[in-house]
Amino acid sequence: MTIGKISLQNIKSKPLYTFLSVFILALSIALLLGIQQLEASFKYQMENNLGDIDLVIGAKGSPLQLVLASVLHLDSPTGNILYEDAKKISKNPLIKTAVPISYGDNYKGYRIVGTTDKFAPLYNAKLEKGRAVKKSMEVILGHTVAEQLHLNIGDTFLSSHGLVENNVHMHSEHLTVVGILNPTQKVIDRLIITNLESVWDVHHHDDNEAHEKEENHAEHHEELDEGKEITSLLISFRNPSALLTLPRRINEHTNMQAALPKYELDRLYQYTGVGVKTISWIAYMILIISCMTIFISLYKMVKERAFDLALLRTYGASNFQLIRMVVYEGLAIAFLAFILGFMLSKAGLYFMLKIVETNYKQNILQALPFQEFTQTGALVFVMIVFSVSLAIYPIIKMNISTILSNEK
Amino acid sequence: MVQTDNITFHYKKRERTFNFPNIALKEQENLLILGKSGIGKTTLLHLLAGLLKPVSGMVVIDGVPINLLSHSQLDKFRGQNIGLVFQKSHAVRSLNVFENLQARLFFSRKSINNTAIDALLEQLDLNDYKKNKVNELSEGQLQRLNIALSVIHTPQVILADEPTSNLDDENCKIVIELLIKQAKRTNANLIVITHDHRIKSSFSNSITL
Repeated sequence: MTIGKISLQNIKSKPLYTFLSVFILALSIALLLGIQQLEASFKYQMENNLGDIDLVIGAKGSPLQLVLASVLHLDSPTGNILYEDAKKISKNPLIKTAVPISYGDNYKGYRIVGTTDKFAPLYNAKLEKGRAVKKSMEVILGHTVAEQLHLNIGDTFLSSHGLVENNVHMHSEHLTVVGILNPTQKVIDRLIITNLESVWDVHHHDDNEAHEKEENHAEHHEELDEGKEITSLLISFRNPSALLTLPRRINEHTNMQAALPKYELDRLYQYTGVGVKTISWIAYMILIISCMTIFISLYKMVKERAFDLALLRTYGASNFQLIRMVVYEGLAIAFLAFILGFMLSKAGLYFMLKIVETNYKQNILQALPFQEFTQTGALVFVMIVFSVSLAIYPIIKMNISTILSNEK
Repeated sequence: MVQTDNITFHYKKRERTFNFPNIALKEQENLLILGKSGIGKTTLLHLLAGLLKPVSGMVVIDGVPINLLSHSQLDKFRGQNIGLVFQKSHAVRSLNVFENLQARLFFSRKSINNTAIDALLEQLDLNDYKKNKVNELSEGQLQRLNIALSVIHTPQVILADEPTSNLDDENCKIVIELLIKQAKRTNANLIVITHDHRIKSSFSNSITL
């Protein structure tokens, strides 16, 4: 027999109270941990996927859409720009690197990006096996693509037109896998990378075929006649002063738009941050309510069992031993709730991100930083200690003689 | 051995002071304290148990002046040397019969001897109920458990507060015989405080408040 065993028996003797206390506290812990992990993952994804990209130049439209489409590969592009125009901008001395990208096709939902050999270094991606793209219709695969589609060096496949998986608008040219990139935990992991010529060749061939078959595709044909197009240009500055002049110059003096990824994503984060903060506050409110439930439960136990506790004092139990008994009960409830809350948050995020992963072909979930995990743990601990401290007050003020006399 | 010396107690709220007669019990001597309601019987028992501190006077048990002990010393002394029996039987509700006796020994800071617990339960005809929770026992079984709880740690003194008041004649006799028998077995002084004159014949030594 120990004090811990008596506490355990006390908990077992009131299963409904215990369940209610554990469940409500676990719910708030799950919400808090879940929100923190989502926030941390979202921030990480936003910051990590920027790579070395300081500026994105693309067709006029929504700057946020341009960034989401060209940097995070989550949205449709705003349109195309002339490759000639992009090349002129690339010569600006303020620009360190300018990487053109062109896309509009996919293979089983994974985007095919036509670019140059400067694209992979933006994300610190290196070849895990195989070689770089040397000629048209050769591709290298992001690590997730190779893993999920079980593709290897030498395999060939047909791409589909558009950014969504379909079997209707299939291109007739086979793409051949020549290399696979190492995992980076960045957006490049879920891209299929080829050179610009592959994208132009596929569409030039398709447009020619279409022109022969359908007269109403004259508009596409005209575009090809005027010059080659790309979707956007990813730029790294040589020095930060470019930030002040280059975007404005492009926005005011060309028919293209320049978007700053960091600024746009910060703006997006501010919008979504309101929701995150609201849910966080709800979680804190639930935490306070659950701690009040624990306090009421323990306080009620102390009051209801006043005679039991007084009786234990006549057995020789000290006040400190009785306090320990109540503290153990509170800590046991908190411990169970923390484990359950942790599991609930993991399960909730797993199922939620399973849906996101299906849509965006990428698992964005990052492990919750240890500091935030311990912060939540410490907060719950402090709240429990506070609840228990209030609940044990009647023990400290207990008058054994009065309790025993009144019970007669 | 129990000895009191001119103990008095004052209830501030009720503005009432009690003066109690001196008690001097030798080893294994029993005492019946009779008195009407409101005369201070329970107060005297609580003073003897160290649950109340006298305003003046001294309570000495086994040579120890208990009203001079600190809180923690008193807790320890009470746990080891005093057994209490109440009018309304009580035990810890979340524990079963056996666990209650184990808890009694645990808080007495005495080694938990399961064989001794089994033997005592056998003597008190509670062996079949040792796994039962307290609320599953009848009033008679609960009173026997109460007696078991007051003697399992072999105390120096057993203090019983109106142990037979709610019982019929037959059960009154059984309970008082059990108390006397257990006190003798553990070499303890038995002090019964009551207004129940039915048990007067069971005691050779009595005082009236």
